[in-house]
Amino acid sequence: MKEKHPDLFGALLLSVFVHILLRSQTLFWTRTGLLAMLPGIVISALVGLLFAHCWPLVKGKLSGGLFGVLLAISAALEIHGLWQLYTVLYPDSVSLLGISLTVLIPVLYLRRISAVAQTGNVVLGLMVVAGVVLVLSVADRLRIDNLQTDVVSADNLQQALTAQGTLYPELLLPALWPDREKRGSHTIIRLAILGTVFQTGVHLLLELFFGAGMPQAVNPVHQAARFGNLSIFDRLEWLQLIVWTMAVSVKLGLYLYAFTRLTGGKGVRENNLNGLPQFVLASGMWFILCMILKRLDLYAQINAWQTVAVWLFAIGVILAGGVRWSVKICARK
Amino acid sequence: MPEHSLSESLQENLSCLNSIFGASADFYTKQIQLGQTSCAIVLFTGISSPEKLWIMVLDALHDSRIAADDGPALLEYLIKYSAVPVESTPILSLEDLCEKLTNGMSVLLLDGCTKALAISTQDMPQRAISPPTSEGDMRGSQEAFTELLRNNVALLRRQFRAVTFTAEIQTAKTPAKTEYAICYDSAATAPELVNTIRNRLSKISLPVLLDSAYFASFLKQDKLNLFPAAAYTERPATACARLCEGKVVILVSGSPTAMILPSFFSEHFESLDDYSSGAVFAGMIRILKYIAFFLSVFGPGLYVMAVRYAPETIPIELLTKLAQAESSTPLPLTLEMLGITLLLEIVREAGLRAPKSIGHTVSLVGALIVGETAVSAGIVSTPVLTMAAAATVATLAVPSLYEQSILFRFLVILLAGIFGLPGLASSALVLLAMTCGTEPFGYDYLYPLIPPGPAAWHDGVIRAIWSTLARKGYQVKQNERKTS
Repeated sequence: MKEKHPDLFGALLLSVFVHILLRSQTLFWTRTGLLAMLPGIVISALVGLLFAHCWPLVKGKLSGGLFGVLLAISAALEIHGLWQLYTVLYPDSVSLLGISLTVLIPVLYLRRISAVAQTGNVVLGLMVVAGVVLVLSVADRLRIDNLQTDVVSADNLQQALTAQGTLYPELLLPALWPDREKRGSHTIIRLAILGTVFQTGVHLLLELFFGAGMPQAVNPVHQAARFGNLSIFDRLEWLQLIVWTMAVSVKLGLYLYAFTRLTGGKGVRENNLNGLPQFVLASGMWFILCMILKRLDLYAQINAWQTVAVWLFAIGVILAGGVRWSVKICARK
Repeated sequence: MPEHSLSESLQENLSCLNSIFGASADFYTKQIQLGQTSCAIVLFTGISSPEKLWIMVLDALHDSRIAADDGPALLEYLIKYSAVPVESTPILSLEDLCEKLTNGMSVLLLDGCTKALAISTQDMPQRAISPPTSEGDMRGSQEAFTELLRNNVALLRRQFRAVTFTAEIQTAKTPAKTEYAICYDSAATAPELVNTIRNRLSKISLPVLLDSAYFASFLKQDKLNLFPAAAYTERPATACARLCEGKVVILVSGSPTAMILPSFFSEHFESLDDYSSGAVFAGMIRILKYIAFFLSVFGPGLYVMAVRYAPETIPIELLTKLAQAESSTPLPLTLEMLGITLLLEIVREAGLRAPKSIGHTVSLVGALIVGETAVSAGIVSTPVLTMAAAATVATLAVPSLYEQSILFRFLVILLAGIFGLPGLASSALVLLAMTCGTEPFGYDYLYPLIPPGPAAWHDGVIRAIWSTLARKGYQVKQNERKTS
């Protein structure tokens, strides 16, 4: 029989990867990134772990609502970000409604948690294959002498540390899982390590490809993929785009599961089929948020503030949890 | 419902039966005298044979001296001391009596006795065992199931002679009281699986049950999922092979198709011939089937997406030819592909449903004349027709996923045609999520393909040589994981 608690690590890792690929591609030079990697891992893993321990102490309607809003904004940003990418690459071919539909239709079939887990693993595998194809197809354009050898400045290091210490919402999600006691810690640490390594790897590839021009590149991974060729096939960027679109849907499926766990109800039981009402409610909310972002042209601002908001929320939960824990200890004594 | 007990009076019992079945032309009654007791034989002609009854029972009774003075004594004599092959359990109620009659048995009613006796004189009309028509295998057994449940169970038992083979006969909750059999190998099948299936089937209430497939939608967890909850076969040999794997076979009276539970995705790409031919060839054929399935589902949609939205993905020489062909047709590409795919499906359906004598003509007219003239008239382009035809032919390589292939093909054409690249990604993920979200009785539907492991290479994507297969073996119980 299937495991009662399907392992969502693959889906979480995929979500982190797609966040990096869509939103943070040229934030630092590889050398500074490597220097900031270890502190970045330690910080994000530590905050994730503390959050997972403190969440049960503070979870309630207010904290759950805040977490839900944070996830809804993150979901809307993902959809909007993907739409912006498509509008740049295929102008006038697809609307925000079209993108929303195409990423949300598969979520209808990702209501079962085992579906999210297994689909996440498969898409992660496809992403790795697409990544290998990308590297192979642009291999002849990668130049070692493109690596930047400027002196590492404090500003650069701080920039890299900020990027490497990004607190992805996925690092907070294991706190919601019912089996977090058994798997939560490992999941968070592995996510922090692999996310940071992947981010550095992407930057290394782009630096090898673009050299000093990397920061100016728009959608750099996609641009690099455009130059790829294998056999008679040129321009393999479509392969990356297909995988990224799939990954966004899996990410939304994961958020739907988190949303179901936050809102309670029948779907909270493990491996149960999340109800259609939750799907309709969540996808409706995400779409409306996307429309607001588009109408008010707030994507850039909200995108920049999202990381800050996640940090503030996590710190708030950790502090409140710490206070509760201290009060409990004092009361026992 | 309360059961009605039989009366002591033979005439009352007969009049009661006459009021129930009297209008039926095939209801047959004959009053006889056995010793000192008045009796009556009742049966349905056509499903029970009066000739058989006469030879088996009445002749024997006529020749023997009956040491009984009244009904109850005669009943005891017939059950315990006579050589007449009566059922060992007497009939106590009217409902039981009716069930025995409709099952094709003859019933002996005795005056002065509230019990009756059933005699196995079934003579059901049946067709001979014939070769399977929808599962083309070149080697192995060429027998197919028939419509008679008992025959089908016998066909299974003949192939699966282990003492652990169990066939539980149940009556479905239908007005027609259709019988079905739950067959399994008690040594290989997980008891939990059998119990789950037994419980779920017993709760299903249907207005009519003509095929095991009627049960399928009740066994699905997610009704929106298009992938089948069960596999089907008309070959006892295939059913027998699945029994060896620890699966459960459901046979329904009146249906020549067996349902196999649980069913996995990779099984649709397997056939009996795989195990008769060489491992390398069988592996190649399986890979070809996977390619055919993906071609049938994604081929036309990928073509539409590539030509309409992302021509840069097509090598330039090919793109030139495609552009030339497309420039001469009046319809938008998506509509053209949808139209042609729809037309091919109509031709196929017409060829399938039409009488055999004109079926080939329909296919020929549809495929050749309509296709050829449509291209000549410039209504559709040759590449579109080629792609649509290739996808239709590819569908037939995996016949058990036929319905899904067609539905998914239309979905992919629509989504890729309307939204381009994200539409194609979306349809691919829908397909993937459906397969990943299917959990037949809690088992991984994608086993042994995902998660990838040695099992995928033993008997999954390809198959290992027989010596390895025999050593490793496979039973569905192996697919169970420890719960955390």
